[in-house]
Amino acid sequence: MTRPIDRTWFVDLTRSQVHVEERTYDEVADVLGGSGFGWRIVANRLPSGIDPFSPENMIVLNPGTLVGTRVMGASKLTAITKFPTVASADHRYYVGSCTSGGRYFAIGMRQAGCDRLVIQGKASEPVILAIRDGGLSIEPAGDLWGKGIDEVSRTLIEQEGQDAGVLVIGTAGEKLVRSALTIIDRTNSLGRGGLGAVFGSKNVKAVVAHGTGSIRVADPIGYNQIADELCERAMTWPRREHWIKLGLAAGWSTFKHTQNPGMWEKESWDKLYGEEKRLESLRAVIACASCPLNCRLRWVLPGGEFDGEQGLGSPYSKSATSGQLLGIEDDRKMIHLVTEANSYTGIDFYTTTRLIDFVTRMAERGRIPAEQDGITLARDYPTYQRLYTMTANREGLGDILADGWYRVQEELGLDPSEYWYAGVCKGVDFIYDARPSRFHPLMMTFLTRPRPHHGGSHTRTNSRGKTLEEIRDQAAHWGLSDEVMDRIFLETDYSGKFNVGRYTAYMEDLMRVKNAIGLCTIYTYQALIFADDMARLYSAAVGEQINARELIRRGERVSNLAKMINVRDGFSRADDQPPDVWFRPMEAPEGRIEMEDYYQTKTLHREDLAHMLDDYYEERGWDKTSGHPTPEKLAALGLSI
Amino acid sequence: MISIGGRLTIWPDRCRGCRSCQMACSFTKTLEYNPSASYIILERDLETEKTAPMIKSLRCDLCGGNPACAAACSYKAITFEPNWESGSCE
Ligand code: SF4
Ligand code: SF4
Repeated sequence: MTRPIDRTWFVDLTRSQVHVEERTYDEVADVLGGSGFGWRIVANRLPSGIDPFSPENMIVLNPGTLVGTRVMGASKLTAITKFPTVASADHRYYVGSCTSGGRYFAIGMRQAGCDRLVIQGKASEPVILAIRDGGLSIEPAGDLWGKGIDEVSRTLIEQEGQDAGVLVIGTAGEKLVRSALTIIDRTNSLGRGGLGAVFGSKNVKAVVAHGTGSIRVADPIGYNQIADELCERAMTWPRREHWIKLGLAAGWSTFKHTQNPGMWEKESWDKLYGEEKRLESLRAVIACASCPLNCRLRWVLPGGEFDGEQGLGSPYSKSATSGQLLGIEDDRKMIHLVTEANSYTGIDFYTTTRLIDFVTRMAERGRIPAEQDGITLARDYPTYQRLYTMTANREGLGDILADGWYRVQEELGLDPSEYWYAGVCKGVDFIYDARPSRFHPLMMTFLTRPRPHHGGSHTRTNSRGKTLEEIRDQAAHWGLSDEVMDRIFLETDYSGKFNVGRYTAYMEDLMRVKNAIGLCTIYTYQALIFADDMARLYSAAVGEQINARELIRRGERVSNLAKMINVRDGFSRADDQPPDVWFRPMEAPEGRIEMEDYYQTKTLHREDLAHMLDDYYEERGWDKTSGHPTPEKLAALGLSI
Repeated sequence: MISIGGRLTIWPDRCRGCRSCQMACSFTKTLEYNPSASYIILERDLETEKTAPMIKSLRCDLCGGNPACAAACSYKAITFEPNWESGSCE
């Protein structure tokens, strides 16, 4: 049995130096290798208090430990950095992780022998980083700087060969738009909240990954058998046929509840943006590496102003919520804007839309002057189009929007807590609204994770109407003691039939596991791979027998590392607060929608959420007042930071 | 290509680009995963990101009558009929 070696490549862009550190797997196993060890590098080597755009900031790219091995859904890359989103009124910034699938990039890294790339410093000129069999090279970006994402992606794939993976930033990342993200392999987005801008601050336009080496596991036969068994499970999943026909467009039945802004009648939203409408532009569904479910989409707009325009990624949910928020009934107009964001600018479509909605509505209400730098604010499509462009280019008012919610508050006097949809926490707007969604554990992770986005935490609880048995059955695979299970499934008057705070702690630890091993969250969302399956896979891959309980324990270690890095930068429970809007009923055409518990037994109030947060910290062994891991907890996990 | 006991058929329109066939092929020959070492290339059309598998190597032996690539393809873009008379690879 050959156990894998863990190789971290470091590049210092300021000095144009590259070095590689090799470790035995035992040295990285306590945090599961992959992004788990990426977090340890950040904990040990990223100075606290630095500006995200300073050369000292780090980007760590981590393919999962199982990536490239044919296990279904093991396609993910996790990036860790200090994000440039202004996360508090006193301008603090969180260190967080983001994750995404793809077909070529993460595998290309592993095939080249790079289990992790740490990027630090700042290049003196725009560059491309190339990860190849021979090592890493820093190459001039030349005239690719200033070009859109898709053109750059295609050029690099043409140069490097059709199996090359690419991670590219758009024009917004170059201009340091604080929400800007990156696009991987043309179809997957990574890093809302500004990963693209951190790349831009380092003068890195793209990373190419292309290797030809083999990916080995410790017990090949045993491992491959588990891979077959799991794939069989996905193939017999009753919803598979529907899912492979529509990809992510299949999510409408859940999505129309969780991401409903409550402005339109449900029937008209269904007609304008629902499943039937999606089929009009959907042309193909594309799978990430080794995924039997597939979800990435290719669309071509039929008719209208943008007839024939093609895009790649997943436009439907973004366009549907944004269309309703902005009052645009023609889905093609919104999908066009998503296409521009994915294939050219790389702005985060969620954040930019909500900021545009906020300022244009506030101008309409007379709260700010309609005459702004470079634009007259109105509630119409040409104004929105212009504002997306101005944000990406940092022109006029767009320069303020490009800096996010706190800058809007500072410059325009608009308090983000007034925003009416979903809410803002740590400077990030949420993609789901807790009121129409009902309060499920994913909403809780938006508060408790250092970076307020789900990060791949999904379980069955993220769809409405799952029975308690189903939720309990999934959690039963986490290897928790009876005592812990009893605590999670104890009914309380503040959380309902199960304890969302306590459940969330383990759900987050499982997310750390999935991200470290590189497993897509859809497989826990749809309950097709369980924590004990992950333990079997991990054991066979690295040659160390561990069970689900130990796996989750190692995930917990990563959660604590991530938290401590942020504690060092001044974050505490005071930052984990639910947004005010959750406690204001949504006035929807079908009536008032209040934030209720998962089973809709009661309206939730601030005290209820405070109680859930208490339980979350307590379950974690953290101090309830500060929200910080206690010295005893860190010692029990063997962590020193 | 003629081989033992069956016919392997490729249905390019059904391919979704998951690369499982490449990983399965390399694994069955070497017990390691390596798309670059598999006997399959995935033609990638950069206009549409459409992919289509092609068996590129004369060394393909239909895995002795139980092709790993066909078994691994969840989208039925590579299929195998075991009892095809003469045995061929299309
Ligand atoms: S032929 Fe099948 S297994 Fe191979 S890439 Fe296409 S869909 Fe995936
Ligand atoms: S049938 Fe040929 S191409 Fe397919 S897995 Fe076997 S050797 Fe590879």
